[in-house]
Amino acid sequence: MASVKRKSIESHQEDHPLLHPQKQLREDHSSNNSSSSKIIGNGEAVACLHDVSYPENYVRPPPPPVTQIEKNSKPAKEFPFTLDPFQSEAISCLDNGQSVMVSAHTSAGKTVVALYAIAMSLKNQQRVVYTSPIKALSNQKFREFKEEFSDVGLMTGDVTIDPNASCLVMTTEIWRSMQYKGSETTREVAWIIFDEVHYMRDRERGVVWEESILMAPKNARFVFLSATVPNAKEFADWVAKVHQQPCHIVYTDYRPTPLQHYIFPSGGEGLYMVVDEKAKFREDSFQKAVNALVPKAEGEKKRENGKWKKGLNVSKLGEESDIFKMVKMIIRRQYDPVILFSFSKRECEFLAMQMAKMDLNQDDEKANTETIFWSAMDMLSDDDKKLPQVSNMLPLLKRGIGVHHSGFASYPEGKTFSIGLNMPAKTVVFTNVRKFDGDKFRWLSSGEYIQMSGRAGRRGIDDRGVCILMVDEKIEPSTAKMMLKGSADSLNSAFHLSYNMLLNQMRCEDGDLENLLRNSFFQFQADRALPDLEKQAKVLEEERNSMVIEEEENLKNYYDLIQQYKSLKKDVRDIVFSPKHCLPYLQAGRLVCIQCTESDDKYPSFLIEDLVTWGVIVNFDRVKGVSDDDSSRPENANYTVDVLTRCVVTKDGVAKKKIKVVPLKEPGEPLIVSIPIDQINILSSARLYMSKDLLPLERDMNIQSSSYKKTVRRIEALEHLFEKHEIAKSPLIKEKLKVLHSKQELTARIKLVRKSMRSSTALAFKDELKARKRVLRRLGYITSDDVVELKGKVACEISSADELTLTELMKNSKMLQNQGKNLTFFFTQLQDTARRVAKLQFECKVQIDVENFVSSFRPDIMEAVYAWAKGSKFYEIMEITKVFEGSLIRAIRRLEEVLQQLIEAAKSIGEIELEAKFEEAVSKIKRDIVFAASLYL
Amino acid sequence: MRGIEISLNQTQKIRLQRALQQLESLYSKANFNASVTVADTIPVSNEDTILKGHGTSERDGEVVATLCGVVERVNKLVYVRTLRARYKPEIGDIIVGRVVEVAQKRWKLEINFSQDAVLMLSSMNLPDGIQRRRTAVDELNMRIIFEENDVVCGEVRSFQNDGGIQLQARSQKYGKLEKGQLLTIPPYLVKRQKHHFHHLEQFGVDLILGCNGFIWVGEHVEVRESLAEDQLNNTEQQFTKSNTTKEMPLETRQNICRIANAIRVMSILGFNVTLEVILETIDLSSTLNLGIDEMLGPEFHVLVAEREAERRTSMTKRKG
Repeated sequence: MASVKRKSIESHQEDHPLLHPQKQLREDHSSNNSSSSKIIGNGEAVACLHDVSYPENYVRPPPPPVTQIEKNSKPAKEFPFTLDPFQSEAISCLDNGQSVMVSAHTSAGKTVVALYAIAMSLKNQQRVVYTSPIKALSNQKFREFKEEFSDVGLMTGDVTIDPNASCLVMTTEIWRSMQYKGSETTREVAWIIFDEVHYMRDRERGVVWEESILMAPKNARFVFLSATVPNAKEFADWVAKVHQQPCHIVYTDYRPTPLQHYIFPSGGEGLYMVVDEKAKFREDSFQKAVNALVPKAEGEKKRENGKWKKGLNVSKLGEESDIFKMVKMIIRRQYDPVILFSFSKRECEFLAMQMAKMDLNQDDEKANTETIFWSAMDMLSDDDKKLPQVSNMLPLLKRGIGVHHSGFASYPEGKTFSIGLNMPAKTVVFTNVRKFDGDKFRWLSSGEYIQMSGRAGRRGIDDRGVCILMVDEKIEPSTAKMMLKGSADSLNSAFHLSYNMLLNQMRCEDGDLENLLRNSFFQFQADRALPDLEKQAKVLEEERNSMVIEEEENLKNYYDLIQQYKSLKKDVRDIVFSPKHCLPYLQAGRLVCIQCTESDDKYPSFLIEDLVTWGVIVNFDRVKGVSDDDSSRPENANYTVDVLTRCVVTKDGVAKKKIKVVPLKEPGEPLIVSIPIDQINILSSARLYMSKDLLPLERDMNIQSSSYKKTVRRIEALEHLFEKHEIAKSPLIKEKLKVLHSKQELTARIKLVRKSMRSSTALAFKDELKARKRVLRRLGYITSDDVVELKGKVACEISSADELTLTELMKNSKMLQNQGKNLTFFFTQLQDTARRVAKLQFECKVQIDVENFVSSFRPDIMEAVYAWAKGSKFYEIMEITKVFEGSLIRAIRRLEEVLQQLIEAAKSIGEIELEAKFEEAVSKIKRDIVFAASLYL
Repeated sequence: MRGIEISLNQTQKIRLQRALQQLESLYSKANFNASVTVADTIPVSNEDTILKGHGTSERDGEVVATLCGVVERVNKLVYVRTLRARYKPEIGDIIVGRVVEVAQKRWKLEINFSQDAVLMLSSMNLPDGIQRRRTAVDELNMRIIFEENDVVCGEVRSFQNDGGIQLQARSQKYGKLEKGQLLTIPPYLVKRQKHHFHHLEQFGVDLILGCNGFIWVGEHVEVRESLAEDQLNNTEQQFTKSNTTKEMPLETRQNICRIANAIRVMSILGFNVTLEVILETIDLSSTLNLGIDEMLGPEFHVLVAEREAERRTSMTKRKG
């Protein structure tokens, strides 16, 4: 009897470590409520980090009875391959029924975790929701899952397939609105998988993730799949806090196929490996690569007579473009298949055309491609087949080249690649390392680079991935290093308020906006930063108080005077040296007084005298902006002046020469340097062959400006004051001023820190919330008691466009009367409405730029879309506008989405006629190529 | 005074009349002409296109009313707001209903609307709080959750194609209502507000002002955000627990009756039922030391009307 009993206990105890190898470990840490972490794995390469966040006051549930463990003992899904440590680690968390965040590289195999979660839910008759940021990705995953488990449905803005399935694939936006509407899925979903959750930092859409996570049902569990983010722990802490459940983090840097990074200097001959597969940065070959680049770039410049040209055109000059050369090399070395990233749509197509000369496919492959191509084409109408974009594709495809960018019809967006769309290749090439970012070109961030380069290397096929950077400009070693070796971007909240969110929250009884704000990741991060800021402020204050200066009052007075004097001087200079005034005097030979190149802290700005020197003008030149806009007037352009003066040349490392302008008295050599105009202090009236009189020229320049005269008079007055100031005679004045200066700087920094502290202690967005509610009240969307009114209900339905403008438009419009006969009239009305809405928002202290807001409604493709609705063929409307066909298609698809929402809105106010009208509009635009299922479906 | 049926003596009658007149005088007569009956033409200027909302229709080029009520205009939208009609649901309304039928995967609820509301099994949280798909077993066990004549509270989720409505229970606080009174008052007396759930701590009572005119007054129930784990084992107990819980204390019972009577008085007088006014009415009854039964007597009605008139007058004065 006794022995039997003992045996059962034993077997129980044995069961534990066997089935849940890490359970034991977690139990050890049960006493401390915060977290436990460990590193799993034997080799360095495959190691992963496992960590758990517990909510505060979390009471561990008693371990489930033995029967339960036995029931779970068979895994919900078995994989034909051995799991990587991070995968099995994550899966064991799922088996324990706890949320997990998996942070790993794109190709590492996060999908395995998602698959397991789905299999598990299906087994337990629970629903599972899989959300991804992009439709294309959703479509792809839908097909993947459908093959694996049959009970799968898809919901995106475009299509809905089997919405009653147990596993639903959807975009995050859809999931959010399902939660607002209280869809029954929310009550049946046990696991929610957020793929690419790092999208949360997206400025525009990130907030959707936060809302979705916050509103998720209390008993649901999460699987977050994300790219490598350094602050995964922070995110998990937040989830644990908000949902009062433990959240595991499984983090790994591991890549199944190691990456090699190469640089291909433009115009150069070969590749230079800069980071090897062991992730070591090779300084020497990096330098070689840079050196291979520099002379070429300069030579190019000379030949073009200093005119700057876009890298692409430059490469066109050569008989074979760089890209062509490189692809050839890649093929020769058998590094194919290859993906080329370029950051502009036009360049993308242009590159593909360059490739056209190449033939990468065998004959049998060609025939294959052709069949696939024509079967895809059969979906389109005959007229659509005439599109040049479509017909041009076949020869390219036959040669084994595909083009993808956001402007391309029926293809996913270019940035799709930065996320997990499945399109592996052995080699990844960046044709440029800078990216146009709305308003300017910037270097690729290390996070983006990591994501995109992660495409390289196919698991199980290649032994390593190759990543090639084409560099056509001087790239600082530090910048390159940052990009190649930097850490991934951290996951920061991009939370912001929208009217739609406000109204939806106010409409439901449980909705508590303040609560939503308080629980947002944004607030969480702000709260977290607070102690740090406090410490910072304290340290700075201590430092400031430790500085003791005698006669501080007096000195400060003097200091202020100098500051004032400086700023006045600067005002004068700005007036005099505005190109309008000074251009006529920049003749060759004129003597100028220029400021020495400041080497930062050596000459702080508290001296009365500037460090100046004199030089002779040789030439001046207009600086070309990035946008070669010929229409800009000469007055507005920037100029540089070539000046002959005394310089010190220091060679800095291998690559860069540093030229420093030094005062005349110091040793140096005469050189011609280019300086910006604002470095010139005084123009002398003398030109070199004239008299040696160095009187300032200003009076002769005939500047007619009252502010100029006033400023000059004030400077004179100040100069008198300086003479009177006794402290100026103190021998140690310079040192004292220096100390005071740094003290002032400290004070300013303390102020800054305090300010950010204040803003984080207060509930973030509280003021904005108030302001936005005010707007809604003024427009009659809600009553003074925050009850949503009729108009508010209309706006509730609209989430794909500006809800306020559209609602106002619908309420006030003459849409019905006008019947869209006059587009211009309609557009003015749209703009008027937008302006009214924006102005009201401005009055209610919502931060908004009225004109920007109004001009964000653009008429560019109105004509084309109108023609489309009238029944024109697609190739006809493509002739009307210049935008890419893909952009147009996306616009029309989006329009359909908005129209669907408007139908709902019309229903809610009981206007049947309008509803019918919208429905008619939908049926008119929903046809042919625009709504042809994309290739990914 | 129309429709108020209480036996009053002469003085009470005069006092009540005065109070009601006073109340009437507070309302602006601006909308007086805007009231329409069925088939009345609604005047609209012809240059402007208008949006025709609920209760309107076009006939021979004229906009006519299809309901009795007051014409309301919101910018270009014209609709008729009914004064006394059946409840007209809107999405997001909190309502209280009574189960009339247990059907396939759904309950049908009487909610004072032209059709019965539908509450799907999948729109209810399972008693064990587990998130999962509903099975045939769940369907068989539906009567464990609600049976006929149970009083249920839910939120209007959506309209069906036939104009009927679907309800949902967003969280644990929705669902079966037990140990209390259900009052039925005209739905137009309940105004839509931010909150319809009220916990009156001083009385230990929950008050739910359903938008459909069904009002629930019952013993306070602590909403438990039940976690799946704790409930895995005691699912069975949960099912039976509701019947075996302890007696409600007498005091709470009295409180429920007092609140219910206060609402009855207001409903008879035709006053809007809001939490604020209910509480004041209760205060009035307790300061007068009235018994619960006495609250339904004529004298109290008159007193409530007078006090309401006074209150509104002072409010308008303060505003003015």
